[in-house]
Amino acid sequence: MLLLQINSIADALNSSEWVFPIAECFHIAAFAWSIGLIAAVDYRLLGFGIQHSSPSEVLRDTAPWTLLGLAVVLLSGPLLFLSDARMYLHNPSFVFKMYALAAAILFNYTIHRHVAKSDSSSQAVRVVTAIVSLVLWVSVVFGGLFIAFA
Amino acid sequence: MLLSFVQWIQLTDFFTALRGSAYVYPIVLSLHMVGISLFGGMILVTDLRLLGWTMRKRSIADVVNQLRVPKRWGLLLTVTCGFLMFGSKAEEYYYNAFFRTKLILLALVLVSEFVFYRQVYADPAALDQAPTVPGNAKLAAAISLLLWTSIACCGRGIGYIEPPLDKIHAQIRVLYETALTASRGPHSLKGQDHQDVASAN
Repeated sequence: MLLLQINSIADALNSSEWVFPIAECFHIAAFAWSIGLIAAVDYRLLGFGIQHSSPSEVLRDTAPWTLLGLAVVLLSGPLLFLSDARMYLHNPSFVFKMYALAAAILFNYTIHRHVAKSDSSSQAVRVVTAIVSLVLWVSVVFGGLFIAFA
Repeated sequence: MLLSFVQWIQLTDFFTALRGSAYVYPIVLSLHMVGISLFGGMILVTDLRLLGWTMRKRSIADVVNQLRVPKRWGLLLTVTCGFLMFGSKAEEYYYNAFFRTKLILLALVLVSEFVFYRQVYADPAALDQAPTVPGNAKLAAAISLLLWTSIACCGRGIGYIEPPLDKIHAQIRVLYETALTASRGPHSLKGQDHQDVASAN
């Protein structure tokens, strides 16, 4: 039953040759958007970028736009996935990407947010947080790209 | 001439090795994407600030000037990886319509940078003195957003077209051979005449 439903969604998505490329463009533009904004906060935590503002100010100014970008990513992503769900589920790169994405989002809205919000956290904590955040998001990008090569 | 240049560049030892490697290409492509995130994000913050949609409490000069260095690193990473990918399959890219469009859009970025440089980017502090963000700064930001988004989409489009290089090469060969026989035409005819005369004698 579930399989049948998945198949009919895939058929709908594959009925036009434009759906996949357009969804992909939105996906790419939006991930560049959201990861870039998260990187702006990370740069501030590392001690460069927008230094005249505190990390909490950079976070507050970018957070709504990051969330908007992530929302577009998380709407376009499943469309791409559903166009060929079984292929993706068997793709090791895709599976890796999903774990990395879950970890990155979780980290971003817990520890990362906490450290960026408290302007009193020590420099060492800030640097480690920023590096972990950058590594996680870069892994997500790599995982996504390697889907096509796995 | 441009065609022979792209053929030459992809046949250099360096790019031949790059093309032959199974891992280098996807890694370079991934780093290109990472560069896009880092560079694109910084462009976005700058443009949103110029449009007056975020960071309104921060001066424009603060946002624009302080993001310049990270923005340049992101661009450098993206352009380096982009050039590596182009070099390894230069001839295919040369025929790719999305690649050509992308280059035109990149040229337009340079044009807009040139047009708006003096009024907007050279002295962001001057923009802060106006009561609201001046119209041409907003226009520059809107154009920048539009161009960079289109460039990213064209970049993705490159992967969807695979120019039929074999067919193109075959066509070029036919054209070349036709031209060659046409240029040889009169000479061979003359030779034939001569032979005919000789045999008649």
